[in-house]
Amino acid sequence: MSLDRLYLDLLDEAPIAPPSGGRAHLLTTAAGRRRPAASCVSWARPYAGRIAALDAVFASATAWDVPIVEGWNLQELLTHLMAKDGLLAAAVGAPVHGPPIAEDEAMARTRDLQHHERSRSLLETRQSWRDQADTLCHALSTADPTRMISPGGLPLPIGDQILGRALETWIHTHDTAVSEGLTLPHPVPDELHAMADLCARLLPLTAMLSGLHLGDRAIRLTLTGDGGGDWHIPLTLGHPGSVYEGQEVALSIRADAVEFCFVLGGRGADRTWEAEGDLALAADLRAAAPALSGP
Amino acid sequence: MDDHLFHRRIVSGDELALGELYDHFSALLYGLALRVTRDRAAAEDITQEVFATFWERPLGFDPGRGSLRTWLATIAHRRAVDHVRSEERRRVGALGPRLFERPADLEEGVVAADEIVRVREAVRGLPDGLRQVIELAYYGGRTYREVAVEIGVPEGTAKSRLRLALRRLAETLNEGAL
Repeated sequence: MSLDRLYLDLLDEAPIAPPSGGRAHLLTTAAGRRRPAASCVSWARPYAGRIAALDAVFASATAWDVPIVEGWNLQELLTHLMAKDGLLAAAVGAPVHGPPIAEDEAMARTRDLQHHERSRSLLETRQSWRDQADTLCHALSTADPTRMISPGGLPLPIGDQILGRALETWIHTHDTAVSEGLTLPHPVPDELHAMADLCARLLPLTAMLSGLHLGDRAIRLTLTGDGGGDWHIPLTLGHPGSVYEGQEVALSIRADAVEFCFVLGGRGADRTWEAEGDLALAADLRAAAPALSGP
Repeated sequence: MDDHLFHRRIVSGDELALGELYDHFSALLYGLALRVTRDRAAAEDITQEVFATFWERPLGFDPGRGSLRTWLATIAHRRAVDHVRSEERRRVGALGPRLFERPADLEEGVVAADEIVRVREAVRGLPDGLRQVIELAYYGGRTYREVAVEIGVPEGTAKSRLRLALRRLAETLNEGAL
């Protein structure tokens, strides 16, 4: 190993540039081997990035028939993601791939699409899933991220809907990587931060969905590591979280940004949060956090 | 050069990151492949293929196990050796893309056997003061700071001696190499 490093350092001392044109040639070749992230508006980039990452995991995947999550193999999992991406596409007026949507509900659409994809090869499904995702990305260039829509019955602004798709794609990419014995690197810090911000702002909604009555209180949420930040989150709906600026709070929670996202995504049941203040509230919020996660 | 960040960008499908990696490492990989194959067209193909493979299956690289530079160089070296071995076919195209890239083997290395001999000889031929810093830094795995302390010179002096030694070695190695 020491000689390797010396040898490479020596080569760097006397570099020999390859013929010109190699860079452009490489980018063309590479795009044919694995599609780059779809070009899209900045607020949809975390989604485009997670789609490309799942495609990368797919490229190294070998155990195509092994159940990954919910008893689904890779083809069924991709189809589930495509089903939910398609519901969002329909809600923003983008083309929907596959048979027409019979019912605007995630599991019903998943079953319909899985039935449709069963007769197709995994590579065909990969292509359809990716086409649907890229179509959605492109369609968002003219969308207003603040407009409320309710694909599958969950009302959120378009900007948050696409971050939700990014988060779910990330979680299932992680599931697939674990199943394949691959190590999935984290999203780049900016994209991770956007998803962490969504998770932070969803906390009051997960509490409400779990039947918690929290009154007029607020918490401080500090997420550490890449993509982290410091949020002030009122627990009453309709008062969106924002950057923490020294406000009085009932509770301070501290967690790793990636782990926090995974808890909201229904992964990491054993992960605890560092809490200071109302510890009973912390336990309630922690228990409620995965309320929006589902298959 | 932040290997972790580049890896994350490549996995996220960021083409700009691939272009930056090419700018950063293509001369190293091309030079490495050229030394082994002595064939410019083959070295160019190998360079392209190493980057394209990394782009297609970036999870084959694990930044926790070694540097991206060494990993790319190991694959370039392996492909260059493959090329030399199959040279009787005289068709670079026959190399084609590998379907499954074995993970870079830490034992495998990036230096051809005859090059190892030449590097070791070149190190032995350095003046004592320069040979000492190379041996400490590379064979002994010391940092600049540790090298400086060990030979009793300021850190800046150790650094410039190391640069000078590397340049001398590179010149020796290049004489008649290509």
